[in-house]
Amino acid sequence: MTHTTARGGREPLTRRGMLREGACGFGMLALAGLLGNDRLRAGSVALDDADPLAVREPHFAPKAKRVIFLFMHGGPSSVDTFEYKPYLEKNHGNPLPIERPLAFDDEEPGPLMKPLWQFRPGGESGIPVSDLFPHVRECADELCLIHSMVGEGVDHGAALLQTFTGTSTFTRPSLGSWVVYGLGTENSNLPGYVTIKPALSHGGAKNWSSAFLPGSFQGTPIGHAGLQVADVRGEPIEYLANQHLSGERQRWELDMLRNVNRRHAEARRHDPRLEARIQSFELAFRMQMQAPEAFEVEKESEATKRLYGLDDPVTADFGWQCLLARRLCERDVRFVQCTHSYKWDQHSDLYNRHNANAAEVDRPIAGLLKDLRSRGLLEDTLVIWAGEFGRTPVSQGGDGRDHNPYGYTIWMAGAGVKRGYRYGATDEIGYHAAVNRMHIHDFHATVLHLLGLDHENLTYRFSGRDFRLTDVAGLVHRDILA
Amino acid sequence: MRFTATSEPVRTGALWAVALAACLPAAAAATEGLEHFEKRVRPLLAAQCQACHNPQLQSGGIDLASGEGFAKARDEAALISLEDPASSRLLAIVGYTARVKMPPGGKLSEEDLGVLGRWVREGAPWPGAELRAAVLADSEQGAFTEEQLSYWAFQPVSQPRPPAVSNLAWPRNAIDRFILAKLEQQGLEPAPPVSRLTWLRRAHFDLTGLPPSPDEALAFSADRSPGAWERAVDRLLASPRYGERWGRHWLDVARYADSTGNDEDHRYPYAWKYRDYVIEAFNSDLPYDRFVTEQIAGDLLSTEPDPRGVIATGFLALGPKAIAQQDKTRMLYDVYDEQIEVVSKAMLGLTVACARCHDHKFDPILTKDYYSLAGIFASTRSFRDAEAHVSRMLLKPLVPQEQYERYQAEQMAIKNRRIERDNVGDIEIEQLVEAEASRVAEYMLAARRAYEDGEDEASVAGAEDLDAGRLAKWVAYLRPVQPKRAQLADWHSAGPDQRAVAAAAYQQRFEGTLKEWHHTIRRWRKDTIELIRNGTMPPRPKPRFQAGRDRFFFDVYAAKDGPLLSFRGEERDRALQPQTLAAVRRLGEELEKLERSAIPEPPMANAVEDGEPVEQHVFVRGDYSAKGEPAPKVFPAILAGFDQQPVRTGSGRLELARWIASPSNPLTARVMANRIWQKQFGQGIVRTPSNFGKLGAPPTHPELLDWLAADFVEQGWSVKAMHRRILLSSTYRSSSATSAEAAEADPENLWLSRFHRRRLDVEELRDGMLAVDGSIEFAMGGTLQSGFGTDRENSNDRLSIDPATTPRRLVYIPLRRANLPTLLNLFDFGDAVTSLGKRPVTNVAPQALFMMNSEFVARRASNLAQLLMASVPGQDAERARRAHLAVLTREPSGAEVDTALSYLAQLMERFPEASERDAWASYCRILLASNEFLYID
Repeated sequence: MTHTTARGGREPLTRRGMLREGACGFGMLALAGLLGNDRLRAGSVALDDADPLAVREPHFAPKAKRVIFLFMHGGPSSVDTFEYKPYLEKNHGNPLPIERPLAFDDEEPGPLMKPLWQFRPGGESGIPVSDLFPHVRECADELCLIHSMVGEGVDHGAALLQTFTGTSTFTRPSLGSWVVYGLGTENSNLPGYVTIKPALSHGGAKNWSSAFLPGSFQGTPIGHAGLQVADVRGEPIEYLANQHLSGERQRWELDMLRNVNRRHAEARRHDPRLEARIQSFELAFRMQMQAPEAFEVEKESEATKRLYGLDDPVTADFGWQCLLARRLCERDVRFVQCTHSYKWDQHSDLYNRHNANAAEVDRPIAGLLKDLRSRGLLEDTLVIWAGEFGRTPVSQGGDGRDHNPYGYTIWMAGAGVKRGYRYGATDEIGYHAAVNRMHIHDFHATVLHLLGLDHENLTYRFSGRDFRLTDVAGLVHRDILA
Repeated sequence: MRFTATSEPVRTGALWAVALAACLPAAAAATEGLEHFEKRVRPLLAAQCQACHNPQLQSGGIDLASGEGFAKARDEAALISLEDPASSRLLAIVGYTARVKMPPGGKLSEEDLGVLGRWVREGAPWPGAELRAAVLADSEQGAFTEEQLSYWAFQPVSQPRPPAVSNLAWPRNAIDRFILAKLEQQGLEPAPPVSRLTWLRRAHFDLTGLPPSPDEALAFSADRSPGAWERAVDRLLASPRYGERWGRHWLDVARYADSTGNDEDHRYPYAWKYRDYVIEAFNSDLPYDRFVTEQIAGDLLSTEPDPRGVIATGFLALGPKAIAQQDKTRMLYDVYDEQIEVVSKAMLGLTVACARCHDHKFDPILTKDYYSLAGIFASTRSFRDAEAHVSRMLLKPLVPQEQYERYQAEQMAIKNRRIERDNVGDIEIEQLVEAEASRVAEYMLAARRAYEDGEDEASVAGAEDLDAGRLAKWVAYLRPVQPKRAQLADWHSAGPDQRAVAAAAYQQRFEGTLKEWHHTIRRWRKDTIELIRNGTMPPRPKPRFQAGRDRFFFDVYAAKDGPLLSFRGEERDRALQPQTLAAVRRLGEELEKLERSAIPEPPMANAVEDGEPVEQHVFVRGDYSAKGEPAPKVFPAILAGFDQQPVRTGSGRLELARWIASPSNPLTARVMANRIWQKQFGQGIVRTPSNFGKLGAPPTHPELLDWLAADFVEQGWSVKAMHRRILLSSTYRSSSATSAEAAEADPENLWLSRFHRRRLDVEELRDGMLAVDGSIEFAMGGTLQSGFGTDRENSNDRLSIDPATTPRRLVYIPLRRANLPTLLNLFDFGDAVTSLGKRPVTNVAPQALFMMNSEFVARRASNLAQLLMASVPGQDAERARRAHLAVLTREPSGAEVDTALSYLAQLMERFPEASERDAWASYCRILLASNEFLYID
């Protein structure tokens, strides 16, 4: 195994183009193993530098080895789900008592609107969770709620981009890309960063892109939000399977290719890129043999499938995503994102639609938490649940709520965070974060910290400047650390 | 908390930059930096330092209890390095690595060190201390150091003479003498020349992005007459394929794409016209100075309408934009910033945009320079309606204004006529709805009997004299479902005895809302009819019922899918009185006639135009609400000096264009000469093609660069003339074979002791394969995807077109920034968001998977096999030869032919299901996937 320290301060991958062009698969570990001899290691390509995905030692001992990010696209309402605001009950129908900050909709805001669901205490911690999430409420003792999230985007695109890349103004690498850049990946047969059925809108691929980081750090999409699971299952990763040739026949062809390439390389000395590309075919062949197994969700036991709600058409889609996420985590994929497609944007009809949305994800999420716990995976897996923002405490259009990035709730669970804990708070109205504000930069800094990465030292030099996920900001919120 | 800088205007200077980290959205960062200071740093200093370092004790002459004291200590005791904050003395002192170690009682905790470290790295902001940080050298001239003033890239282009060399046999032209002189200095030999076919393959890919056809290869191989090489170069430069290849390179530099990217990814419907303009500019060898001028100010060059000049400004118009950003001022200044960045990087090789928040940290670009340029773009319009909820981009007609106005007037007339037609029917339908509304309770009760009491729906309808179809809809709507619907809660909770009361209540409320709503509609209609009659302004759109006002009403009357109480389509026609229906149809026919005879939409372009001139101010730390000193429209002082006359009329774009495109601008010709060199040799003389500043790479051959730049200008800024010189040089004819000595002495090939073997880029790889199998189509221009706006959330239409689905060249595939084609992501295309001077090159296994498993490659291999089998029937050896010529542009050796033939035979023996064509296809795929195809020697 190749262990080097996490990256920082310099441009580690560009020890000139020669090395950058070295062969890398989804990861290099398998390559070293695959070769079964010292040819490549001792030969022309310096593995440490050539392989962007080699496992790297973090900056300090990590609490989490990997992340599952459950993304609720559209912006679930915090005051209707995880942060109870009695003030809204008492003042239902009254005008907003503060000046309204920049909103998405220019129209006059409606009056304050009480939570449309009953909050009840969950678990031993007694954390109040609304009736939208009865199953997640059973797991309340796993949750570390953060009630004081702050972002800057009042429109979806800006908010998604900031949630995933730190900025909506520029094109920057995504959180998952930074994580894989910092830590590498431990399973070279699978991508280090997988995003299941991601959104194509509101930044689209920018939300999982590696931007100026080398392309190997880009998230690998499994289908996209518009597709059904059935559309995705067949070929989860593009080009992973050959539709025409048997494995044996393809191997036969690849052997000939290797011979042709070897002869070519022998006539061209001192060019490690040629050998590196030869190896990339060997790695690819092995990957296509082994990767598909990770996607065989249907092989899980009936009990497990039920736990995730695969038995019910309402929960089957997100259940499949969550169960696949667990399988990928078991196989050491570093960063997995599940996306509940763009459904949470309730400018109107909040009651009916939030009900329908929560019904789709509540059971799968609780199933995931329970399953991870029982398998011991929650010890070193960090689960994050978040939308791109919350929603306003005032109503919009009679029975909806507008976007609110000024104070909203997300939660984490698992590796490294306190259990059954509530952190921060919005003001009594539920509009602005008031206690322990956690800006998205802080959130990123804290997530990186949990993974053993110092956000100030995880840098990449591009265009004459050292870039960070957190730009020049970011504060690790230690109070939530277990 | 808002940070207010100073009461005096902040003066800027290069030495005493108010050093935040680098280019960033400053307002947020500054606020956060100060917040960090107040929250974490100030308490820390109070607890750990101020017992001694206070105004009274001033231990060691240092006071850390006030902003003033700190400013003094920072500057006089050099506690903080503003140029390189991370190396600040303060950090060494508290880190216990300096001679002085503080605090004396013991080292701070790691956490506290982190807090201080972050603060210092952010420039150690402290309210009350920033004024001094911004106090500058006395005169503006003094803003630059001697080193900055004499920096190589800012000096005028010299006219160096080609140096003397000892090997007189090798050089073919001046370029070779510059290269050879350096080689001789380094004690290196020039590389031997390559074979004719290797050179031809190199030249074909370099100039057209395509391999030579077997016939072209054989012809060149056989042509031993004088001038053969020159003719080959001229043939390639005259090929329309040349512009497609080199235009694409410029499109990288211009961060070209067909959508806004960012938040909403709206299409730029006419972006392709700019792309076609660029291709045409290269094909026609448009002088580069003219090319630059047109892209910045093509719309201002002539008083006559000039479609081409307007289209050229697409360069400025087609950047990424956050059009749904609700802080519109910020959005606009982000757009100006993006325009400054692309102009300065693409044309000047400078990273001017770094100076948005503070003076450039490494180059002598002042914040004031930045805002002087911002003023030019702030006086330029990229939107027709920036203030709209989702800002609307500027679309410019390419016809005279009167003609466009005629078109608009006609379109308005059509729209109005449509409203008139709809009105005729609507008036009657509204009355019908009002009559039906009185039966809402009846339908509800009947529906409940069907879904709850189990009565037969049809017989209930018959018994109650209700419309059966309508009743079915009511049943479907009212039947309880999970999750429950709030608007039906009262209905569902009403017990059997309360049904009638509940139904009556629903009906009453429904009728109330209906009355109000129809009142609103009728008022609108009255106003609209009047407006249409006056013809003074376009009518407001018909109001739409906002669902949240009354969701039951909305569901029943207005919902888009299956309302219960409305008349649409045929139902509507049946409901209308015959004479009304006739009137509607007559008006419809007139409308159709009008539409048929209407002037078609005039040609349009995504472009910019001059807007209201803006008196720009510096924005302190990039925050638009913190206005600093005025920044009149001048050009960066380090290049243009301090005694410039500011532009006073218009936007200043034309002046900017002329200043950049001037032979006396030291950067413009150098930067472009270097781009051409880089693309032909795989690496530039300056290896950072878009950054000629201090953090860029210094030129390996500065004299050659100047010679090329001077020659470029002298040849009338002809790009093709430069290609000709380069391609006919001995340097370009060098072999890529690397000797052990050269690899040792010149590992990075800085001195061009050999040719840089390079990988095909994604266009060459894809188009090359399509060319080899004969299926490429060389149609030029136009768009493969027309349309406006964006597409349904999460639909496949949000994706860019899959390049596998068209035989056109890749340059013609529209690029949706938010979702580029997988192929492009896989093979290092870049992101089409920022100016890209040189693409990265990666080698990853998923690329191999594409070669192994994609349908695209399978089809290429199969087609090529078919081609070989058809063209040389029955002669396997000749087929193998043709295959090598087509894919690798060379004759195979006898051994290679033997190997190929035995491979085919063995494959068919081992896998009896494989046909002869399958076997050939397999061999062709091997050639296409081979390193020899992918790498150009």
